[in-house]
Amino acid sequence: METPLLDVHKKLGANLGRFADILTALDFGNPMNEHVATRTYVAVFDVSHMARIIVEGADSPRLLDNLIPRSISKSKDGHMLGPTAFLNEKAGFKDDVMLYRISHKQWLIVCNAVNRSKILHWLEHQADALGIKDISIVDVTFETAMIAIQGPQAAYALKSLGLELETLNKLQFATNVRYRDSVIDIVSRSGWTGEDGFEAIGKPDVIAKLFMDLVNQGKAKPAGLIARDMLRIEMGFCLYGREISEDISPIEARYWVFDLDKKSYYIGRDALLQKLRNGVDMIRLGIRMKKGIRFIPRYGDKVYIPESDIEIGYVTSGTFSPILQRSIAMAYIHTRYAIPGLEIEVSIRGQRYRGKLMDFPFVKPKT
Amino acid sequence: MVSEILALNKYRVPTDRLYTKTHEWIKVEDDVAIIGITDYAQQKLRNIVGIELPEVGKEYSKGERIGVVESIKSVEDVYAPVTFKVLEINERLADEPDLINRDPYGEGWIAKVKILRREELDELMKAEDYVKHIEKEEAH
Repeated sequence: METPLLDVHKKLGANLGRFADILTALDFGNPMNEHVATRTYVAVFDVSHMARIIVEGADSPRLLDNLIPRSISKSKDGHMLGPTAFLNEKAGFKDDVMLYRISHKQWLIVCNAVNRSKILHWLEHQADALGIKDISIVDVTFETAMIAIQGPQAAYALKSLGLELETLNKLQFATNVRYRDSVIDIVSRSGWTGEDGFEAIGKPDVIAKLFMDLVNQGKAKPAGLIARDMLRIEMGFCLYGREISEDISPIEARYWVFDLDKKSYYIGRDALLQKLRNGVDMIRLGIRMKKGIRFIPRYGDKVYIPESDIEIGYVTSGTFSPILQRSIAMAYIHTRYAIPGLEIEVSIRGQRYRGKLMDFPFVKPKT
Repeated sequence: MVSEILALNKYRVPTDRLYTKTHEWIKVEDDVAIIGITDYAQQKLRNIVGIELPEVGKEYSKGERIGVVESIKSVEDVYAPVTFKVLEINERLADEPDLINRDPYGEGWIAKVKILRREELDELMKAEDYVKHIEKEEAH
């Protein structure tokens, strides 16, 4: 499988690679510069690999209400519910998702590439189990493209191309947005970088045109998935398969995807409330390595109390922060030791390196 | 100017040195040689943020791990192209590991070494062969 924007990436000289089996742009030659462009100016990312599923029909609210740990009834047309999630019976993450309410009877689910077929089948199965008839669940991932325009100048960059989006508040979206002589299906305002930003979803040729216009007119720097990973780690955002999985709940992840006040049933609710009452053994925290340590903690590296064999957790993601000029990581830490400020050691290739536990975000965004 | 070949229009390969399959280069000047990693290796790694250098005075045999290069994307071992003793390491890399990105064949050198088994040089690739090696790897 490949992103529908592959030709755009080839034209721009991207380094291509696979993410969740989809061939896409990993970077455009210098991930560090792409990261800096996002934090200081604006960058455009192809996020077409993310799955887009339309749920439509009179019974769609009933299905979603049964699956989503947030109150569907409080949502409004043109607003995004999210980040939220689909949980399993143990309150583990089936996936974390953004839910777009186009209307009461039409919803767009944006979920992780790696979970696309799992979620699609699960939705169909749950609809069957509830005896829901008036519903259609359609995967539109490969007939549409999706890009993210992120950075403090994102609104200005789009405005200079004639897209007036200032009135769009965070977590809102507009449909059928006119762009030149064509139409973009959805433009939303959110993001995964911590900066102000927008997503555009639509027909691949229209989205490709917007991507190229942004780049060719010098409005945005093209950026790939490596820079995106650095940006989300700086913000302390979870990636499915690393920080979250079927075995991790929102409590351990400290990922607030649910409304405690939602009293009605949804899958995973009992287990989630049980975890809140009983407490959890491990939680997700940040690690900031000491300045000058030029090695990066990576998935699976162990965390210790300094100068001891007391193992207190494990790393799930790590990167080098160009803003802090040091290595940072996310880790699951035993709650007894989960103390921000605590000095710890990470074992990287058998050598111990010193760092400190800290809360997220590592970097405060300007916007 | 040293002549260079471009592999796949993208990766520089100077003709004044020899290459390994694991993407190290060695430039021989009499008994002493300079070693580093290739332009292809640095482009594959992306931004290099850290390096573990070999030890001065230590002997390494051909194929032995002499250090590690850590980048935003991944971490890769660096191997000895031939059996050698380390005379000097590029201390600047400790604070500026991105010298390897900026100038892999020049200021981004890793170590100066004394070659202990000259006959091993015959097993290394010349620039033309290394270009073919890159093309083969990229075809995968």
